[in-house]
Amino acid sequence: MPSTDTATDGRTPAAKISMKCSARSVLVAAIGILIPSFLEAQQDTVREGWRMVPMDPNMPMMPGLEGAVPGVSAFLPGLGINFATIAEARPSELVTLADGDTLDITVSLVRRELQGHETVMFGYNGQYPGPMLQVPEDATVVVRVANQIEMPTTIHWHGIRLENQFDGVPGITQAAIQSGDSFTYEVYVPDAGLFWYHPHVREDVQQDLGLFGNMVVTPSEADYYGPASREVAFVLDDILMDDSGVLPWGETAPTHALMGRFGNVMMVNGETDHTLTAQTGEVIRFLMTNVANSRTFNVTFGGAPVKLLASDVGRFEREQWIESVVIGPAERYVVDVLFDQPGNFVIANTIQAVNHFRGEFYPRVDTLSVVTITDERAPSVASERFQTLRTHQTVVDEINQFRPHFGRTPDYDLETTVRVQGLNPSIVLTMEADTLFVPPMEWNDAMPMANWLSTGEQVTWILRDRRTGAENQEINWQFDQGDLVKFRIFNTPESFHPMNHPIHIHGQRFLVIALDGVQSQNLVWKDTAIVPVGSMMDVLVEMSNPGRWMLHCHIAEHLHTGMSLNFTVAEASP
Amino acid sequence: MLFILAAAALFSSAEIGGSNPTSNIGLTNCVAGGPAYYRFRLFTTRNVPGTGLATGSAEVSVIEGSPFSVSLSSDGSYVYDLQISLERMRIPAQGHLVAWVTTPEIDHIQRIGAFDADLTLVAPVAWNKFIVVITLEPINDPTATTWTGPIAFRGMSRSGLMHTMAGHGVFDQENCAIYGYGN
Ligand SMILES: [Cu+2]
Repeated sequence: MPSTDTATDGRTPAAKISMKCSARSVLVAAIGILIPSFLEAQQDTVREGWRMVPMDPNMPMMPGLEGAVPGVSAFLPGLGINFATIAEARPSELVTLADGDTLDITVSLVRRELQGHETVMFGYNGQYPGPMLQVPEDATVVVRVANQIEMPTTIHWHGIRLENQFDGVPGITQAAIQSGDSFTYEVYVPDAGLFWYHPHVREDVQQDLGLFGNMVVTPSEADYYGPASREVAFVLDDILMDDSGVLPWGETAPTHALMGRFGNVMMVNGETDHTLTAQTGEVIRFLMTNVANSRTFNVTFGGAPVKLLASDVGRFEREQWIESVVIGPAERYVVDVLFDQPGNFVIANTIQAVNHFRGEFYPRVDTLSVVTITDERAPSVASERFQTLRTHQTVVDEINQFRPHFGRTPDYDLETTVRVQGLNPSIVLTMEADTLFVPPMEWNDAMPMANWLSTGEQVTWILRDRRTGAENQEINWQFDQGDLVKFRIFNTPESFHPMNHPIHIHGQRFLVIALDGVQSQNLVWKDTAIVPVGSMMDVLVEMSNPGRWMLHCHIAEHLHTGMSLNFTVAEASP
Repeated sequence: MLFILAAAALFSSAEIGGSNPTSNIGLTNCVAGGPAYYRFRLFTTRNVPGTGLATGSAEVSVIEGSPFSVSLSSDGSYVYDLQISLERMRIPAQGHLVAWVTTPEIDHIQRIGAFDADLTLVAPVAWNKFIVVITLEPINDPTATTWTGPIAFRGMSRSGLMHTMAGHGVFDQENCAIYGYGN
């Protein structure tokens, strides 16, 4: 086991991710090891730490990029610490909480073997993904979070309409939890559904390193979904690796600022070789969450029939047959899949990728999981009921109350765009030349080198209020509790690099009522929705939850290169 | 190459994007989005009487009823509603104008349908890059698998504008043959 704890470069700690000496002591103590002089022991993570990003061998390097590395220093967690002293991560465990229960979550370094490489990552309670929390609808649970990693962190309870002060957004609802400190969240869960939790500090690093977990809010309504043979959590992720292990992240600013950090190794529930075994005739309910930094997945199920039940904040109006699940970063979908024949079913990310060099699309299929169906036959209740598409009348009735507002003029017009400065001229030249056609979605990183070299110091992703011209954090819209607000979000195809954006609204729920003027036929409450390039999405937001909230792109690198705005919902007077 | 890079250097230090009001890539309220952005023209071949001055266009739009922001086929291709319209032409006295889509390699052909008097058609298409071909067919046969008559119009999906760098541009020095182009 290589130990790196004697290396030193005399770097200035102040220039790195903020880490107080006292906090470092706590961290060191917490993981139960002794580093004689930890200040000297801080392993360098400067530019020598960069390794060339993996490239398609068929693509030549753009002239002028040979030997280039991102203009920020490289970060890998746990440098200076002997791997053997870091606890090995365990698979996620189910934690069932009742109203009023308290849970302790420790954020710490964990050790994982990924593709044969000993890898230091982050974990919630030492697990990957973090513990699966199961909470009844309308409950409040207390979560005490202790930060034992070297970066400040928070927990954002994604999609949950909880009290504003526990939303986990640093600088807006709380100060980030410094290394060695803790914070207590009270998580009130008014809606049934599939939610998740993750940091809101440098998500491009922390989430990518393993800080994510699901929270399932169990419905009070009986027979909320039809019967299934089993429920399976299905957390989709990818991570960028080369022959030496995971590629470092940008320390003071994100790399991959243009397209976000696409991984080249696919993971389900943190595993690179996920499998399932079931009997013939089983209906498997997949609780799907996309925790990737940037990748939108198109999940296919090997030809088995797929029924769509629910998304971010509850059920669709009607169940619907689908061929695949298109799931952007932070979105959730619940689907039932009937496996009615023995054999192997490959669950895959099935896309038409772009080869920018040849100007072509090409089919690409990446295995996410293999489901082995045995010859034994499962009880038939679930498979018989599977054939029926249910209408969720309570959802229809509730959404009907909002329908009179669908057709009205938008209250706010937002535009998504990007500004760059100081980028390598070779990248600018090539990308400018290649904007005659921009695909609606970026399914793969077709320019790995150019993307890697672009950092938060050169790229600013923008949400712009088209009426005032205000951008990003200049925006703080004011609403009153109970307002129904229609946003029109236009993803302009005319910018330096147009790209799809999964737009997330904190603390509220919304309906996607139309895309490019085509009305949605089957609605569902959402907290995150993809706006493809060139598209105009109309959403109706129910401003139900008072406080100061954020709206942002959930591509981690876009969020951390500017793409967020705020709005305040004033509490209705009693 | 040096000249190009120098020009790009000037470019790269400027703001690129919307905040420059004089830039033609700036943001205005008339930027084409959605179906308009992906619209493409159909060009007459002048091979069919009455189409010498004709123009045409095709638009792709989100499939109605998709629960997702993009609709995809099982191989990950975009599924669009393709809407074709023709203008400034006389309907031929004999035969039927029939629309087809085909891949750039013309290894797959799909019949969209025959035009009637309003000269518009809508049908789903599940290819990312395709050519629209409109031909004059002697009979209106919905089961036909390829055209037999003369081509009156053709046009390529906007994705056909995707830039190929092999053998030119910043890859001038590359031999395009090694990437499958030329001999
Ligand atoms: Cu984005």
